[in-house]
Amino acid sequence: MARMYPVAFVLLLLVALNAGANLGRDDERFHEELVVRPLSGDHVNTYFQFTTRWHYGDKDNLYHTQLTPRVIAELLQQFAVKELHIGLTQGLWRYETWGYPIVEATSGAEMWAWFSGANLTNREVDRQWKELANVFSGVLCASLNFVDNTNSIAPRHLIRPQFMPANGRRFVRYATLPREIVCTENLTPWKKLLPCGSASGFASLLNSGHVHNTKYHSLGLKVRVLCEDHDEDNCIVELTQTANLVYDLRLFELSNNDFSLRRMFGMGLNGFCELAESSKIYVQRNEQGERYQLVPEPVHEVKTTRGGHSVVYSVYDMHEQFKEPGERLFNVAWLAPKSENRRRNLAKPSLPPVTVHRYLLGHGQERGRIVTEVTNSHYDTLPIMLQEVIPWYVHAYLHTLSIRRKPQRVNEYGRQRLPFKLLHYTPGKQRELPSHLEIGFTLPGQTSALITIDVDYLLLKWLEYPPDANHGHYIGSAIVSSQLPMGRNYTALPPEGHLFEHSFNATRPSYVLSLHTEALIVSLPTPDFSMPYNVICLACTVVALAFGPIHSVATKMIIVGRQASTPKNFVKKIFNKIFRRGKPTDEAAAECEELRAAGAAAVGATGMASARASISPGGPSGDQPLLEDLDEEEEEQD
Amino acid sequence: MGLLSDPSISTQSKLVDGLARHVRKVCYALYVAGVAWFFCLALPEFNHGTYLSENALSPGLVYPEIRIDANRLAIQLLEELQRERKDHLSTTPHAWIAAKMNEFGLETHTHNYTLRYPFGGGKEYHGKNIYGILRAPRIASTEGIVFAAPYRAASSVHADISASVPLLLAFADFARRKNYWAKDLIFLVTEQEQLGMQAWLEAYHDGDRDLDVSKAYLRPGNLPARAGSLQAALNIEVQDLEIDHVDVRIEGLNGKLPNLDMFNLVQRIMAREGIASGYKQAPRKKRRHSQSHFEQNLRQMLTMLASQSSGVPTGNHGLFHRYRIDALTIAANRRATHATLKGSPGSAAVPLLKAIEGIARSLNNLLERFHQSFFFYVIVNNDRYISIGDYMPALVALVACAFLKAYLTWSTLPATNAELDKAAGWLKEHEQEVELEENLDPDKFELPYGSVLIYLTATLLIGFLCNVLPLQQYFLEIPMGAAPLTTSVLSFLSLIGFVLPFVVVLPPGGLELLHVAFLLIYGCALIVIGLLNFALGFFAAVLTVPLVIALETKEENSRSTLRNTIRLATLAMNPMMVVYVIVLAMTFYQFPELPLQKIMLRAATAAMDASAYGLIDSVIYGNWLYFVICTIFLPLWIICWTLSLSKRRDYADYLDFDESPSTPSQLQSQVQPQSKVKTN
Repeated sequence: MARMYPVAFVLLLLVALNAGANLGRDDERFHEELVVRPLSGDHVNTYFQFTTRWHYGDKDNLYHTQLTPRVIAELLQQFAVKELHIGLTQGLWRYETWGYPIVEATSGAEMWAWFSGANLTNREVDRQWKELANVFSGVLCASLNFVDNTNSIAPRHLIRPQFMPANGRRFVRYATLPREIVCTENLTPWKKLLPCGSASGFASLLNSGHVHNTKYHSLGLKVRVLCEDHDEDNCIVELTQTANLVYDLRLFELSNNDFSLRRMFGMGLNGFCELAESSKIYVQRNEQGERYQLVPEPVHEVKTTRGGHSVVYSVYDMHEQFKEPGERLFNVAWLAPKSENRRRNLAKPSLPPVTVHRYLLGHGQERGRIVTEVTNSHYDTLPIMLQEVIPWYVHAYLHTLSIRRKPQRVNEYGRQRLPFKLLHYTPGKQRELPSHLEIGFTLPGQTSALITIDVDYLLLKWLEYPPDANHGHYIGSAIVSSQLPMGRNYTALPPEGHLFEHSFNATRPSYVLSLHTEALIVSLPTPDFSMPYNVICLACTVVALAFGPIHSVATKMIIVGRQASTPKNFVKKIFNKIFRRGKPTDEAAAECEELRAAGAAAVGATGMASARASISPGGPSGDQPLLEDLDEEEEEQD
Repeated sequence: MGLLSDPSISTQSKLVDGLARHVRKVCYALYVAGVAWFFCLALPEFNHGTYLSENALSPGLVYPEIRIDANRLAIQLLEELQRERKDHLSTTPHAWIAAKMNEFGLETHTHNYTLRYPFGGGKEYHGKNIYGILRAPRIASTEGIVFAAPYRAASSVHADISASVPLLLAFADFARRKNYWAKDLIFLVTEQEQLGMQAWLEAYHDGDRDLDVSKAYLRPGNLPARAGSLQAALNIEVQDLEIDHVDVRIEGLNGKLPNLDMFNLVQRIMAREGIASGYKQAPRKKRRHSQSHFEQNLRQMLTMLASQSSGVPTGNHGLFHRYRIDALTIAANRRATHATLKGSPGSAAVPLLKAIEGIARSLNNLLERFHQSFFFYVIVNNDRYISIGDYMPALVALVACAFLKAYLTWSTLPATNAELDKAAGWLKEHEQEVELEENLDPDKFELPYGSVLIYLTATLLIGFLCNVLPLQQYFLEIPMGAAPLTTSVLSFLSLIGFVLPFVVVLPPGGLELLHVAFLLIYGCALIVIGLLNFALGFFAAVLTVPLVIALETKEENSRSTLRNTIRLATLAMNPMMVVYVIVLAMTFYQFPELPLQKIMLRAATAAMDASAYGLIDSVIYGNWLYFVICTIFLPLWIICWTLSLSKRRDYADYLDFDESPSTPSQLQSQVQPQSKVKTN
């Protein structure tokens, strides 16, 4: 199982280099692509991909950028980073109804990077990783600066590199920030990284007002460095910016199911980016796209078969559409047949081969169970790998980790277990490290697996609670990976390709699939941060202060005895101190008389009680009332 | 803190002595003070007006957008459902509901569960819930809100509430087309009254439980889809689309309540939409205006506590509370007359739909779970409440009697043995030579802790058996109904409790010690019950505290008439007797036309049913009432009965007994087998 991955990847990466070979030295190219796929349940997926590739040759050339943003070039000089992925996502991709996305992302912010270079140490990588996160926190206006050792892990098996590994050691770091809310403030700086900005080309369609009205939107940034023959001076830097959106047609409140670019993005396309090598729109025509009629009629049509699964795309080339001079807006409209009622689209899509869900079970704020459910609806056995990052404020118990299985159709899990094929666990440390868990197993066909691990919730220090303390704390999503033998529902780009068209007819022996689960909210035990809370704190302090004396009264025997008094004279004081254990002096004896008088007064105060005690038959004589009380206390404790 | 550690203050003071002489008067004064405080709470000066504590809710911040077309859809759906009901007389039209949810674009799932009824002879019942999830565009399914509507089959004996499902679906269709949802909305249609809801909630929160098929009563199974952590829930029970008023039901399982903010939110929004709504709202003609403010408030408080004390939820919302999901039910009653109809019948449900939309949007605004405002309160009026800080003193005053009496009884215990012990102890501490004398110290001066402890354990064992015995396999195989079986087991065990003091007589000092232990356990039990379910604790305290105050074990001042009265009262306070009397009163209230004999007979069968239902509630839903009565009140009653009998061994008997070797151990061994024989 673990062996399979590296073999597959080495094979793929050899091809990756060939794909880059057609780029001449000092060549810099930019491509923009837009893919529109109608999905089931009245949803439409639009996927933007902007790719910049630069064969920069000499490392010094990185000081003079043209199409590639300067920040990316500086990155390569400052850090030993070879591959970097950043995703900023809002919403959750629904695998059951939408199939698999072209680019995977988890809700919130996600970031991982590969480092490789000579003389790299783990500590150095940690430093670079934190600095890298800080750089992109500024570049993308995201809270990536919260990435540090408390939420980063070094994945062992699941995340594989997509660059040509050089001879040096490789290091990887991975972190998610599930609480991150993605908004227009992230979109604007993201667009600024593009050569044409948002002035022209496909990026002009990305208006925040419309982008954020979608059901799912994900901004992605991927940088990788591909070097030929392990030669540091013959490298290609590839920057891929992706925007993956899912529109819900029902939110448009239309009487029919028609939609168009203008309706989705608020405006038509004003042309192509002049710096772009290619500028194409791909529209999926089969499956859900079958029932729509396109206006204007597409000129080209591409049929692609990948892993026994055929997809038909219509292609609009913007260079052709805007050949004639003159300003105009280009719009594509999808017209549903007039006879179709808007509530007719009820056909359930075929379930993708692997689906995942994650949820938290148990109730109360003390303990719970993190449950990940993986369903294999394929008929054959599939290898499954799972990576979990459990934050430090949740204590996981490895001995409770189990995988239970059930047939897909049954709705109750029995006692049948699945064995682990692989288990990697790095225990967490309070306030320092998250727990990191990777497991691998094989899942038989038509079967669901339930992976459970018991957790305890930690009571935090009062300053560690976030402002909305009762909102709960997040546990980031898990990643589930598998290798599919066929290409149904599979749309991801092959690792060696960099354009969407490279996924056409890209049949491989297997397809590496990686899925993200839901993030979770846990309610940690939260004090009531309000006035009663303060009152309770104060009252507890008072009780704590009172407890000491009460305890000593209740447990200690109080004997009123002689006490050597301290003389007033300084010399005598010292003298007294030295001979403390000696015989009491005359003065002390005199003081002692006074004390005895005081003791008699005390006895007098409790005279009534002692009187009663003396009346009662068999009672002790009345001269030690205090002792009597003490004994009574002790008896009560019995 | 010098005051606390001043050794000159003795507990054996004059004050204690004085108090001990007047303990009954003091206790009765406290009792009266507690009850009087409770009555005072109904006065407007003692309670507060409600307010919204959570700013995020901001009810009414947005204009309702739901329009008449949603109402039209609801009417159309109701007509369709009425047609479906003709074909499904005793079942739920699952297919129709699922098809509608699918059509509206919800992610629709079904949930199957199985019930093995404990008294059903191993028979299994299957149920099915339908739910559709609206996946919110603004969140990654980490939080959710539940909108539930129970479905009652046409053959059900309860009021027809089939209009709630169309109303729910009409709102779902509206909500599906909005993009501002920041929490997933779950639209849930349950069947089998509370059982369906219980199964769904258990499946949602404990879906992975690997339950033993032969032991588990309710097997909830697992859910195919979830929507993160649930923040709030709204249960809708509407009798018709044309409604007269809305009754907001809040009492949950074991008397738990939703956050007061949630209740206030519903009240505010209902008021804005012009719907007559409130807690325990009565129909228009029944609404009392003539009553004085005080009387009305008190009646409201008492009805709330009465419905809370049984611990049975007043609607499906009550089962959410234990998962810390704030929930309530809006129960709308059918409009009886059409005379007061304002609008056209075609827009009758629009205000209610608008209100549901308003509630949903306010809940959608929540940033955090409900945590502000109150979780413990008593509603005095629709817009007035009593917080826990105000009503708790009433209970504390009542319970204080028990503790005060326990302390005074302890401090005035016959001074014979204890003080001699102390003398010996003191001597031991101070003069080593006395050790020789210590051997002379006779055992008979020890208070009989061991035997009292064993007696307590025996009574608790009886209580425990009440919980366990009726569900044993060999009892279940007896061909007897659930009610007679439970009742016979319970009455047999209480009979053992009744006989116990006649058989087992405690050694001298034992009764006094038992009395102190009884008072302490009683006080602790009441205060704990009162904290968890104020209504139950308070009513139990009001009922029993006078008896506990009157109870006396001293021989010297016993007048036979008083003593016999106390014995009679104790007999009447037997938990089974109390249950019967309550049921009798309710029967009398409901069927005043029946002759007394019939009423008593009917009440007897009803009480038997009640005990069986209590047991079933405790094993399926986790209701504490049965457990509390059996494990706490019954043992306490047995002890109380023992004390009121105050059977003492004659001194001569005791001497005989004492002459035999190894007194305490033998006594223990004598007590133990007896209790064991009885309880088995």
